[in-house]
Amino acid sequence: MKAAPTLDGRIRIDLEDAIDLAVLRAIVADAHGRDGDLATHLADGIDPELSEDWADYVLPELQASFNAQLETIAGALSGVTPGDTFFIGRGDAEAWFGGLNQARLALEGRFGLSGTDTPELEGEARSAGIRAHFYQMLQGMLLHFLMSGGNG
Amino acid sequence: MPETDTVVDEDTALDQPWNVVVYDDPVNLMDYVTWVFMKVLSLSKPVAETRMMEVHEQGRSVVWNGGREEAELYTQQLQAHQLQAKMEKPGE
Repeated sequence: MKAAPTLDGRIRIDLEDAIDLAVLRAIVADAHGRDGDLATHLADGIDPELSEDWADYVLPELQASFNAQLETIAGALSGVTPGDTFFIGRGDAEAWFGGLNQARLALEGRFGLSGTDTPELEGEARSAGIRAHFYQMLQGMLLHFLMSGGNG
Repeated sequence: MPETDTVVDEDTALDQPWNVVVYDDPVNLMDYVTWVFMKVLSLSKPVAETRMMEVHEQGRSVVWNGGREEAELYTQQLQAHQLQAKMEKPGE
C-alpha cells in the first residue's frame, strides 16, 4: 500500500494487493470488536447529578456519531478492489480519524498494546499491534495534512 | 412586621461553577489532543499544548471552568472527539 498527500489537499491511497484492502477493512472490524460501547465507556464515572440526562440525551448522539464514522470508512471501501486508488478528502478526514481512533481504542482494550513493542508480542496480539501501528501512522497523515491545515 | 424565612434550595444552585477535566489515555495522539483543545475550547496553540502536557504528565487537566450548561456542551464535544472528559465540581 502507498499513502501520500496530494497537491489538491487529499490523501491518496494505492491498494497494491488484497492484503492492503483487508488491512483497511479491518479498521471497522477492529472498532466493532471492543468490549462494550465506547460512548458509555467515555461517560464512566460521570457525576451522579448528571448521569440520567447524559444517558438520555448525550449517549445516543455520541453513539450515532461514532457509528457514522465507521459507516464513512465502510462506504469508502465498499466498491474498492485490489489495484484501485482512492482518496480521503478534508470533508471525511475527521470521520476517518475517529474511526481509526475507535479501532485503536478497541485494540488497546483487548490486547493492552501500549508500552509494548510490537516485536515482543505474539500471535493475535502481534497482528493487532501491527494494525494499531499502521492506524496510528494513517492518523498522523490525516491530522498533519488534512485536519490541521498543513501543507507538508 | 412579619418575619420572613429564607430557604436555600441547593438543587436550584445551577450557577455554581463546574470543572471540565480531561484525563490521560494510552491511545489519543498528543498533537490530536492539542488540536481538539484548540477546536473545541478555542484555546491558543501554546495554551492548548500546555493543557495537553498537563494531561500527559499529571494524568489530568482542568481545561475549562464555568457554568453547567457550557460545561456540559464542552464535555460532550470532547467526548465526541473520544477524549476522556468529565465534569466535576471544583474541590472534588
